[in-house]
Amino acid sequence: MSEPLLRARDLTKRFTVRGPFGRKEEFTAVDAVSLEVRLGETLAVVGESGSGKSTTARMVAKLMEPTAGTLEFEGRDVTRAKGADLAGFRGNVQVVFQDPFSSLNPRHTVERILTAPLVYQGMEPKGGKRALAKELMVRVGLNPDHSQRYPAQFSGGQAQRIGIARALAVNPKLVICDEAVSALDVSVQAQVIELLRRLQRESGFSYVFIAHDLAVVRQIAHRVAVMSKGRIVEEGPCERVFADPQDPYTRTLLAAIPRINPEWDRRRRAAG
Amino acid sequence: MSELLVVEDLTVTFPTTRGLVDVVKDVSFTVGRDETVGIVGESGSGKSMTSLAIMGLLPRGAVTRGSIRLNGVELLGRTDRQMRAIRGEQASMIFQDPLSSLNPYYTVGLQIEEMYRAHRGGSRKAAGKVVAEALAQVGIPEPDRRAGYYPHQFSGGQRQRIMIAMALVCSPALLIADEPTTALDVTVQAQILRLLAGLQKETGTGMVFVTHDLAVISSIAARVLVMCQGEQVEYGTAEQVFSEPRHEYTRMLLESIPRIDDEVVS
Amino acid sequence: MARYLAGRIAGLVLILFMVCLFTYLIFFKLSPDPAVMICGKTCTPERILQIRTLLGLDQPFFTQFWDFLSGLFAGRDYGSGANLIHCPAPCLGYSFQTSQSVWEMILDRLPVSATVAVGAAVLWLVIGIGAGLLSAVREGTWWDRTTMGLALGGASIPNYVLALALQYVLVVKLQILPFPSAVAFSDGPLLWLQSYLMPWIVLATGYACLYARLTRANVIDTLAENFMRTARSKGLAPVLTMRRHALRPALTPITTIFGMDFAALLGGALITETVFGLNGVGKMAADSIAKNDQPVIMAVTLLAAFFVVVGNVVVDLVYTGLDPRVRIR
Repeated sequence: MSEPLLRARDLTKRFTVRGPFGRKEEFTAVDAVSLEVRLGETLAVVGESGSGKSTTARMVAKLMEPTAGTLEFEGRDVTRAKGADLAGFRGNVQVVFQDPFSSLNPRHTVERILTAPLVYQGMEPKGGKRALAKELMVRVGLNPDHSQRYPAQFSGGQAQRIGIARALAVNPKLVICDEAVSALDVSVQAQVIELLRRLQRESGFSYVFIAHDLAVVRQIAHRVAVMSKGRIVEEGPCERVFADPQDPYTRTLLAAIPRINPEWDRRRRAAG
Repeated sequence: MSELLVVEDLTVTFPTTRGLVDVVKDVSFTVGRDETVGIVGESGSGKSMTSLAIMGLLPRGAVTRGSIRLNGVELLGRTDRQMRAIRGEQASMIFQDPLSSLNPYYTVGLQIEEMYRAHRGGSRKAAGKVVAEALAQVGIPEPDRRAGYYPHQFSGGQRQRIMIAMALVCSPALLIADEPTTALDVTVQAQILRLLAGLQKETGTGMVFVTHDLAVISSIAARVLVMCQGEQVEYGTAEQVFSEPRHEYTRMLLESIPRIDDEVVS
Repeated sequence: MARYLAGRIAGLVLILFMVCLFTYLIFFKLSPDPAVMICGKTCTPERILQIRTLLGLDQPFFTQFWDFLSGLFAGRDYGSGANLIHCPAPCLGYSFQTSQSVWEMILDRLPVSATVAVGAAVLWLVIGIGAGLLSAVREGTWWDRTTMGLALGGASIPNYVLALALQYVLVVKLQILPFPSAVAFSDGPLLWLQSYLMPWIVLATGYACLYARLTRANVIDTLAENFMRTARSKGLAPVLTMRRHALRPALTPITTIFGMDFAALLGGALITETVFGLNGVGKMAADSIAKNDQPVIMAVTLLAAFFVVVGNVVVDLVYTGLDPRVRIR
């Protein structure tokens, strides 16, 4: 098999917490997590709150320095990348956050938001900024005539589409989605998941998809890593993990998911 | 069987900058004794406003029309003083985020005790015993000692258990649960749902369960009300709503939710 | 707890030391030769040399600084033989102007400053928090808008303008109050009250206005908290809901700000004391700066720093006691 696009080896993050009266305590949020993502594939990292999945995402996105461990991108060590190396990494790896409104500058137009990543990269879009912004908006299913609007003028689902379009502006090879659909209503969530899948089919980039909702993960992931208390307890192809979970924690997690009576579902589908 | 809660043509109107807006429009449903009715809808559907209207806790400026009868007694149009005697005593409520719903400055014991004493009076000592029993009932270990803990010393699931203990301390006839498991992890959610179902069977409390999650509602409610933009689009038994939805919106919702057991078409 | 306190006190001492060092350094480098100042008009070079030796001004900087520091804790001797002057600990030296012991000057004036500070604090707490509370509860009403408008205006009036205006109206025109002077309580409670009333009002006005706006904002934020909705859903009486659930969370942060404000005031209300001619630490500071009286300036600077730093530690301890989230983890 080909060389992985991204490889994390033994990523560890320890935080020092100050207790009452200044007592210091160490707390390991992520404990020796190793991951590999290949080009064009989606790796989902799932876990409950406090499992360390978001900290892992932040380290993989280089928004946070690991305490220990290494991160390689396209075979090059980027763990301590600075300056031009870091800029190069940012040009290949983009992040979509959970809350679209707080991650979009409310005082900037959509056009400015969408072209900002290119400006940081020092690139001038070929057909001009406006053309690029409109093209990106079309790609994520937004009306290109709204490129001069502000984030507050969009609904939650539309704002998340803007966040996705911004990530696509630099033609990344890897997009990290940190709970990117968790805050959305189910009907909107289904549309955004469909959009994410379509974009991957069109452009062939990879996703690291961080989520707490296993049912959502099932819709989008090729491989799944289950995290609990800072460690990966199980990792494997999506179908296998869901059909035949090996770790007791994964089993508990799967069993806890509320389900609609399958009999009711069958009857509804039969009725059309 | 006489109904515990009868809501008829409930309309809630808010004055906004764009004029009067009906956030709840002509909603009608009933809750029987020891029955659970689910209200489901997406954000902005009016489901939370409906539950707040029953408790008389709508924000200032809201106007309600229609009728809400609890045990045959009309609740709309009552003074705040009259509603206070009902809140907590006959109908109580739990909320989405148990951490922010509890006052961080006081022990959980005091917060339960003050509610009990507001309705039943009695000494702090007598109330303390009731508090410990209530905490034990929702599965908090060492309830006597834990009553002296502050909310931040508990986990998310335990905090919601404490909210439930508080809501049930005066044995109300009706419990309104507004997204009680939404902020919780899925394994904790399963525990809380089991606890609520168990307590309901034990105490015979009628329950209105408000959520955006259809799968959760299907596991706990006997009857389901689907709301969309303030309107009631579907109302029936859970089986009927889930297996033969009549409204286009319900069908769309049911199509949208990702299912854990389905084949994925890629 | 003991370790924490020890750490805090060590930090406190370190900060005070740095304040000492820098203040001393500034005067060592910048001020004109104290010996020339003390010497006065009829001065001979011999006399200047004599004063230098007496005060240790002929010594290098660190020796002088060390003498000053050790004088603080162990007392200090000036001169020798028959001319020996012993300055007992805590020795802050003698005023170049009046030759009084600086420590005794401070002991003399501190009660005045404390009286000013305590009286003003009581006034601004009662008025500021009271007005802020009422405004928060009646948010958006004419009362709220009027009070907040006045508070904004009041916070922007400079102290000395208000002081002069009050004096003109109450003392000169209406003659309700006597001209203020430092009167001890034992001289008669009424006279005491009369002479301190204006300084209190002047000092409290600005703070009361700020505290009113702060209280209002905090209470409004607290009223919007989810636990307030819970309290109402429990059927608690409005008085209990307000007193227990809203006030404590809303007012706890204000104790922090109050502690700092009050500590700063103990170091002397410079403008107010000067305008009203009250012989407090603030006026002492103003006078010493005007006359370049180095030992006094050192002393008032240290005293102010001491109150602020100690106030800071006290505030932290009090806050820890008030907020269970900080106390217990």
